[in-house]
Amino acid sequence: MKKVFIPLIMVALLALIPYVAVTYANMSYLFGVIIPYAAAFIFVAGFLWRLFDWLRRPVPFPIVTTCGQEKSLDWVKQNHLESPSTRFGAAVRVLSEVLFFRSLFRNTKAELHTGPELVYASSKWLWMGGLAFHWSLLIIGLRHARFFFLEPPAFIAALEHADSFLELTLPAFFMTDAIVLAALTFLVARRIRDAKLRIISLQTDFFPLFLIGGIVLAGMGMRYLEKVDILSIKALMMGLVSFSFEAPGEIGALFFVHLFLVSMLAIYFPFSKLMHAGAIFLSPTRNLANNSREKLHRNPWNKPGKFRTYAEYEDEFREKMKKAGLPVEKD
Amino acid sequence: MRKRHILFIGLLAALLMALLFSFHAGTEGEAPASQAAQAAAVDSSSCVYPKEYMHTHHMQVLEDWKNTAAHEGPDAVHETADGRKLQKNLSTCLACHGSNRYFCFSCHAYANAQPNCWNCHISPLETP
Repeated sequence: MKKVFIPLIMVALLALIPYVAVTYANMSYLFGVIIPYAAAFIFVAGFLWRLFDWLRRPVPFPIVTTCGQEKSLDWVKQNHLESPSTRFGAAVRVLSEVLFFRSLFRNTKAELHTGPELVYASSKWLWMGGLAFHWSLLIIGLRHARFFFLEPPAFIAALEHADSFLELTLPAFFMTDAIVLAALTFLVARRIRDAKLRIISLQTDFFPLFLIGGIVLAGMGMRYLEKVDILSIKALMMGLVSFSFEAPGEIGALFFVHLFLVSMLAIYFPFSKLMHAGAIFLSPTRNLANNSREKLHRNPWNKPGKFRTYAEYEDEFREKMKKAGLPVEKD
Repeated sequence: MRKRHILFIGLLAALLMALLFSFHAGTEGEAPASQAAQAAAVDSSSCVYPKEYMHTHHMQVLEDWKNTAAHEGPDAVHETADGRKLQKNLSTCLACHGSNRYFCFSCHAYANAQPNCWNCHISPLETP
């Protein structure tokens, strides 16, 4: 249980730092301007560095993993989605993975029944929980555009409207807030409940979940409970995206907790397993086309070989070959 | 064993019902002491709550006013900290804030917060 509680305590401490510093030491400039800029820089630079690091690695073999019939003779039906033979098909396959978690949809679970009898069955819970979590995060992220644009794009306003259409509270309750909390609870509980998963789970599995949970709770707290001055927040955010170093106005401490936790997430991101966000696009097992029988995949590690063609050989030894009575191609 | 369970649950239910009724009676028993607010000259120098509170909480004040006004009608009166009595009504707000037609909209446009007040009420921008 240590590996569950240490990340939890770490997130609690991280949340406490800005709260104390802003409330009692008036350090809102540090937590409102300097740390967010530093975090954004580390996030962008770290993310690009990780992508560059992966991109410069050679791909020696076509190691695409498929689970469908590859392109073959005309009368063999190809599975275009699961075993694409073109770059476009591979892109579609990667996107279906990114947007709908296709491979997780095939998740199975083994259970030992009395008998003893080992039973494998489809298990969609992780797929559903993961999908709910990631899509909620995406929608919540897009909704935040209203703090970064003077006039956000129309589709974001429409998204916000759809998200709050239940009109439960005032300010209107966002469905995704509840969904992301439920999904987070499920993802944490899933790792704790099952003994097999508990053993393979690490602190680095729990920490991002708790951190995102802390961000969500701080954000919801600001919106629904402990109100903060939204005009000062918008002014600060508009300043940050236009690279100004103006000091933040009077904003509640909860906002700085939210912003600091987001900054910590941004700093943590490039150096953690959260990089799966960028890695999924660069996995050679997914982004390659399955056309190894159609095209030669050159191993970039191979040194350029020294070859001598038969024509060159014949040019050198033609006279000798003729004398010996050997057939030649050219006279 | 089973009978005792049923008896226990029944007693619990009865207790809960009694509690609910007594609570309900308690709220009914209170005399509607408040009279309709005096429509005296409106003091426009201060709002119903301090300015900072209104910056962050005006939507909840408005929602509370809407709900109590819908239930209590003319009895829905708000008493401020300095003892002023005001009718819980949107026109009480607009008596002062209506003088600037953009009072709501300048901030709401900046923060991109779209309230649903004007779904029913006529917005100051729509009045001539």
